[in-house]
Amino acid sequence: MVDALRETHRVLAPGGVLVDARPDSRVVARVERPTGSRFQRYGLVETNRLTLKDDRMSDVAIAHAKRERLFKSRRRGRFWHLVPFESLAELRDYLWDHLRFARRARWSVDAATRRRHAADRFVIRRAIRYEVLSAIKATVPSTARAASDPRMQ
Amino acid sequence: MIDVGTCVPIYSSNSSSLRPRPLDELRAWGGTRLIRGRKVLDVGCGDGRFAVGLAPLAASVDGIDPDPEAIRIARRNARAAGIRNIHFEVGAAQQLPYADDTFDVVILSWSL
Repeated sequence: MVDALRETHRVLAPGGVLVDARPDSRVVARVERPTGSRFQRYGLVETNRLTLKDDRMSDVAIAHAKRERLFKSRRRGRFWHLVPFESLAELRDYLWDHLRFARRARWSVDAATRRRHAADRFVIRRAIRYEVLSAIKATVPSTARAASDPRMQ
Repeated sequence: MIDVGTCVPIYSSNSSSLRPRPLDELRAWGGTRLIRGRKVLDVGCGDGRFAVGLAPLAASVDGIDPDPEAIRIARRNARAAGIRNIHFEVGAAQQLPYADDTFDVVILSWSL
């Protein structure tokens, strides 16, 4: 990953910008049922262990690239991404197929409530993190610039 | 760090989409001025969904992905969208086939 960041730095022009954006596995995703303009929480969806490990390695790679002074952070934050589903069954199928998440939600409502609303629309609300970084490009030292500038000689 | 509880939610365009729409994601990062008129590289572009979404704003967009099948689909998607300022290539992020100082913006969208 650090190799990829070094390559990214190489192809960026001076003053260039790198954007790193990915799901934020530090924030547990939620299963919610839209009710008018609000959302009722039905459960949580954990990120699977391998993905957590991968995400941590990505964080370490970015930190390493900053330590190497390849990039400096300009701005970072998070936003919510809502993945909508037509029913609870569709949501369950999604979890079963999706590699990032654990295969089953941790429900915070009882089975009877879930059955009652099984045909309703649901969403998975998950956090996406992003960071905008500036490439730090080595500049010619002022003494070297002066030596190569005929006006300064 | 922003408190996620105060962030505006972004919906996927449909239930099969795992990702926010490109322009929604771009707005969350700080707005379209980030790429407007710039030379952009999308590393790990996959089927080009994101690159194709950004191309109308950027001066040019290059996409690179190690999966040849994904690049084939990306090229097809770009043709179908009638976008000309886009170019896709098969390759790895560890060895980018571009000259030094080529791009104004590099995007690692869900690919690091």
